[in-house]
Amino acid sequence: MSVSRRVFVRAGSLALVSLGLDPLFLARAAYAAPRKGGSARGPVLVCLFQRGAVDGLSMVVPHGEAAYYRERPRIAIPRDQVIDLDGHFGLHPALAPLRPWWDNRSLAAIHAIGSPDSTRSHFDAQDYMESGTPGVKATPDGWLNRYCSHRAEHEATPFRAVAFGPELPRILAGSAPSLAIDDLQAFGIRARQPAARDRLTRAFEAMYQGAGTGLLAGSASEGFEAARMLQGLDPGQYQPAGGAEYPRGRFGRSLSQIAQLIKSDLGVEIAFADVSGWDTHVAQGSAEGALGARLGELGQGLAAFATDLGERMRDVVVLTMSEFGRTVRENGSAGTDHGHGTAMLLLGGPVRGGQVLGRWPGLDESSRFEGRDLAVTTDFRVLFGEVLTRHLGLLDLSAVFPGFGPEPESHLGAIGGA
Amino acid sequence: MRLFFFLLLGLCAASPAGGQSLSAADSARHVLNRLAFGPTPGQIDTVVAEGALRWADRLLTESRPADPELSRREAAFSPRQFEADALAERLEEARRDRQRRQQQADSGRAGREPPRMTNGPGRTLAAFQQVAVVRATSARDQLREVMVDFWTNHFNIYLDKGLERALLPEFIEETIRPKALGRFEDLLLATARSPAMLFYLDNVRSVRTGATPPQLARLEQSRRRGFGVGRGMRRDSLLARLQERMPTGINENYARELMELHTLGVDGGYTQHDVTEVARILTGWGMRQPNRGTGFEYHAWAHDEGAKTVLGVSFPAGGGEAEGKRLIQLLANHPATMHHVSRKLCARFVADDPPDGCVDDAVRAWQASHGEILAVLRAIVHSPDFWSPRSVATKVKSPFEFLVSAARALQIQPDTLPALAQAVGRLGQPLFRQASPAGYPEREDEWVNSGALLERMNLAVALAGGRIPGAMPELDAITPEDAGPEALVDAVDHAFFAGGMSRTTRDAIARELADVHDPGEARALAIGLALGSPEFQRQ
Repeated sequence: MSVSRRVFVRAGSLALVSLGLDPLFLARAAYAAPRKGGSARGPVLVCLFQRGAVDGLSMVVPHGEAAYYRERPRIAIPRDQVIDLDGHFGLHPALAPLRPWWDNRSLAAIHAIGSPDSTRSHFDAQDYMESGTPGVKATPDGWLNRYCSHRAEHEATPFRAVAFGPELPRILAGSAPSLAIDDLQAFGIRARQPAARDRLTRAFEAMYQGAGTGLLAGSASEGFEAARMLQGLDPGQYQPAGGAEYPRGRFGRSLSQIAQLIKSDLGVEIAFADVSGWDTHVAQGSAEGALGARLGELGQGLAAFATDLGERMRDVVVLTMSEFGRTVRENGSAGTDHGHGTAMLLLGGPVRGGQVLGRWPGLDESSRFEGRDLAVTTDFRVLFGEVLTRHLGLLDLSAVFPGFGPEPESHLGAIGGA
Repeated sequence: MRLFFFLLLGLCAASPAGGQSLSAADSARHVLNRLAFGPTPGQIDTVVAEGALRWADRLLTESRPADPELSRREAAFSPRQFEADALAERLEEARRDRQRRQQQADSGRAGREPPRMTNGPGRTLAAFQQVAVVRATSARDQLREVMVDFWTNHFNIYLDKGLERALLPEFIEETIRPKALGRFEDLLLATARSPAMLFYLDNVRSVRTGATPPQLARLEQSRRRGFGVGRGMRRDSLLARLQERMPTGINENYARELMELHTLGVDGGYTQHDVTEVARILTGWGMRQPNRGTGFEYHAWAHDEGAKTVLGVSFPAGGGEAEGKRLIQLLANHPATMHHVSRKLCARFVADDPPDGCVDDAVRAWQASHGEILAVLRAIVHSPDFWSPRSVATKVKSPFEFLVSAARALQIQPDTLPALAQAVGRLGQPLFRQASPAGYPEREDEWVNSGALLERMNLAVALAGGRIPGAMPELDAITPEDAGPEALVDAVDHAFFAGGMSRTTRDAIARELADVHDPGEARALAIGLALGSPEFQRQ
């Protein structure tokens, strides 16, 4: 097990602190320095969307709450199986691979976080979380894209913002270029002979360039440029570092390809991937079962990613998000229905880990949202905004979250020096 | 004055553009792109000869064309393999086989017995995806196929959810296809009572709080009396297992999506209270066990007989199974539903963001016809917005529309190999495999991105080059091999775009043709490039 060798993420920062240097300051300084092509290194944000609404109460379990066990006779995580974090909260046992990062304080959880909008529709809630404008449907772009277009000084590389999957997610939709990659290995025009590939590329590129400035033209030109930069990278032969083992399947492949892109210094600043299967209306299971299997994949994937990136995790923050949480009380099918507040995870060198952040509202019926769901005490924009300002160095949040200006003191303290 | 109005109307009908500068060929291409999955070579000329609107009106009547050729193609798939009972049996067989091998592995006897080649349902389901491609490509009744695609998406079912693998094919065959051009209310009721929907959105697990199913009641009774069904320990453990698995209350999943997605729309004015009440009304709507003749089954023991109120309408106590039908009627004919579904239809047939005009026309036709789908479609096609330059050749095709229109343009007669269905999946739209009940999106920004576009170009070249197994193109239908570069590009432009190919695309193709000397290679290259061009991505 290579975990002990990976403790450097935190230990490295501590060493810098002992020299009187704030690692965050160093990261910022490095970010502000002009970068040359091919050595683009700066802070990276990886966003993972748990589509379907994860049951935050069984991901980060409030095992100190009697109400949790009272309301979930069939699906609560037994107290003796929870991975205790602080005497009140604990991780689902399937997240055990993340334990070392909690211990070295590069993993934090935020609880009772969510949207100020009360919708229990997956589609609306995902839309709001991706547009960054809860309650406003007309917003044309996603908040990660607004961040990119606002910080135009970033080096121009098609890899600045990359989403893994066959579709570009709403969160990255907008005027700033962003890339959708289903599989690095197959990206680009394919032909048996290089000459044939060049011929097709040349012809298609000319057609789409001539097609004006619309979405088709813009997306195609980003695609051709990215494909050129990827030549020479051989994703099929990629060997993760540190003996990292990604889970099989799409999510594991996306994470390993994100790691490969980051390590290739192609200028990735934002990466995004979906991890689905959280809509556990029926038989979600307890320590084991449907939800446990999904969390197992998530935990193994995150642990592999952090192991693989090793030293580079110093510049990387991974943020999980989900559109809402699930009912406190289990439903009639030993599952949970659509709820309100949920939990999110933050992993990485810049994270002030080892703590569960956010104000905990409790699970008693009187403290619940509409008497049934975990209340939201932290607007998701507070956390997202803190990551953008403290990690990526954004100065003016109002361009990314219009009409929402959290005061600096409302920060959770999720990112920053130890 | 009134006479003048009718005269004007008559003129508009004769020239669908209603005074706009839309040529006869452009109109023909437009109706073929929207009411069918794109033109086959020569079809634009046929429609021009008949008149685009007259052609469309003929499509939008009750009489549907016979299609023995399609029946023959469907039969090649051995459709009995798609029946729910047969599929459920094979699912169960595959499960038992897996279990047995697992037990052998656990007891260290692994490898002694080779895995039995159980005919798992995977291949059947891949074949079923291919059936969808074959029908959309080859059916004479293109409008039905377009609407089957629309409703399949509107009432989305996710194939990979457990038992759904056994239930989905019958859902398409028995629920969607026969009712795709009928009344919306009938279609809605059919989906509400289909095992596939009942299972996908968990209504089969939704029961009155405190309800006990008869088999459990019998077991409990036998334990109390100390005799009867089962004996001693075995009975107790069976009882415990059943109790563990039995639903104990309502499940809101279907109730919410029924209103949000299938009928009223998310802004349709319902509340969380309505969701809960709808779930209570639909308790007891369940299904027979799939291995015992799948179908709808009402479970009185599970039904909540209390009084309910939905959208201000009261459902008195003791409503039984019938109150569910009343609820479906209420929702199917609610003004919010008319508006929501009409708007979705206009987004499909007119523009991603349809103008209010065509939506209003559709709603009026819905009201007048009590939800006859053909009447609503007629209103949309007769709306000026349908023919507006803002609508024509602007909508980006979905991956399925792109692939099927390309196959039609090449006169491919796909065989039973699922290669084309798999290609749709690689383009980002694996058929019947969208997990979200909202289905696949209709908007261009959801489909257009760099990776997906490059994949479309790759597929275009592979299709024209005849490199997709079981999908041989008939390029002679477009142009003879020895046409020469100039005539070649003209023929492609005429067959695919009714003369609407852009200068840039034409030049880019011509430039590459200059140094290709093999005529067959040149023709395949020109056609592949045209299918991958920006104009072929639009409809």
